Amino acid sequence: LPDRQTRFEQAVVPHLDAAYNLARWLTRNDHDAEDVVQEAYLRAFRFFDGFRGGDARPWLLAIVRNACFTWLRDNRPAELAGPLDEHGRDALDSAEAPGPGPEALALGKLDRRMLNEALAALPAQFREALILRELEDLSYKEIARVIDAPVGTVMSRLARARRLLAQSLRVIAVASEPGAHR
Amino acid sequence: VKPDEAAKLLAAYVDGQLDAARSAELEAHLAENAASRAACERLRGLSAAIRDHATYHAAPAGLRARIAPAAPRRPTARRTVFWNFARLGASFAGVALLTWAVAIAVLRPGADDLIEREVLAGHVRATLGNRLIDVVSSDQHTVKPWLSARLNFSPPVNDFSGQGFELAGGRIDYAGGQPVAVLVYKRRQHVIDVFVWPAAADSGARRSEARGFNVEQFARGGMRYWLVSDLNSNELDDLAQLLASRAAAP
Repeated sequence: LPDRQTRFEQAVVPHLDAAYNLARWLTRNDHDAEDVVQEAYLRAFRFFDGFRGGDARPWLLAIVRNACFTWLRDNRPAELAGPLDEHGRDALDSAEAPGPGPEALALGKLDRRMLNEALAALPAQFREALILRELEDLSYKEIARVIDAPVGTVMSRLARARRLLAQSLRVIAVASEPGAHR
Repeated sequence: VKPDEAAKLLAAYVDGQLDAARSAELEAHLAENAASRAACERLRGLSAAIRDHATYHAAPAGLRARIAPAAPRRPTARRTVFWNFARLGASFAGVALLTWAVAIAVLRPGADDLIEREVLAGHVRATLGNRLIDVVSSDQHTVKPWLSARLNFSPPVNDFSGQGFELAGGRIDYAGGQPVAVLVYKRRQHVIDVFVWPAAADSGARRSEARGFNVEQFARGGMRYWLVSDLNSNELDDLAQLLASRAAAP
């Protein structure tokens, strides 16, 4: 039987890109993302005995994700503050209710910069849901494992994230239109 | 269903997270509801925009070296860490290549699986409800113009009563992301749906069986044909041969 070290290298190390991508999107800078990932890998190695086999990616991403939120709490508390939980009928919900739907979205005009900025501006919970779904292509069940929440919450977060993103993209697209001063 | 729930269901469908039965239900709903179809397209567009444009931050090379000490090796083995990683890297490249090759081989019939599900759902829906035939006629000169007027192509329509397959009529259904023609044939007590839409290239006949129905598909003369019925596969193939022979004739 291969030793613990070898099993760790085979199961967990291959997901380094996924780990870094998530951390980079949550911390929003290279330096802190590297630190958080290194810390997460230390934890992953320590808790590797708790890994029950199967796909190590959601398991690892859950650790990375928790390390990111700890980092955010310590270093960017303002980002996590605010009534952002989907269970409380918060201010954001009522504020966006009359807003334009995604139907106004001009996807043809999108470029990389606009999309990256709009994604980066989303609240962390919604940003992570979209990153895990669209960039890591995780299933709802896997995302639920990563964020330690029921699948229903995953679905609500994704719906909210997409609505928020579509709205901000529309705002950006309109603002950058040459004839948009009316 | 509350609008909120409907939106989540639609998102789950676009995300590929519904099981086959619920997908089929939703597709039936989509076929009849233009607003939902538009919402579905918007979701797909947004998803594609993220996948195409959002930056995927791959780990910098330095980080790979930094996580190595996360799992300290025994001193004797330490100097081989680099080569272990190199070897690991090479084997991952191998695995990636293999995965890619397998994915291509496995995913290619994926489109067909999806269409098979759609035509099956269409057939079941039509036979369960009373929407089997929109234009009831055994006269090909009635059915063909009716279909042509409602589609942006004109499917070949032939009656094969002489060979035991009576043309009963036609309807419009939705498959492969577009409206398609359905020719309805009868043989004894069996109903056979023939889904027809334009195809770029010919392809040979392929038979399959799903949920107790027999399915046969081929492309000939610029059209793709999908036959679905509870008729036995040999007789279904007879009809496929007849359709193919007419499709080949100028």
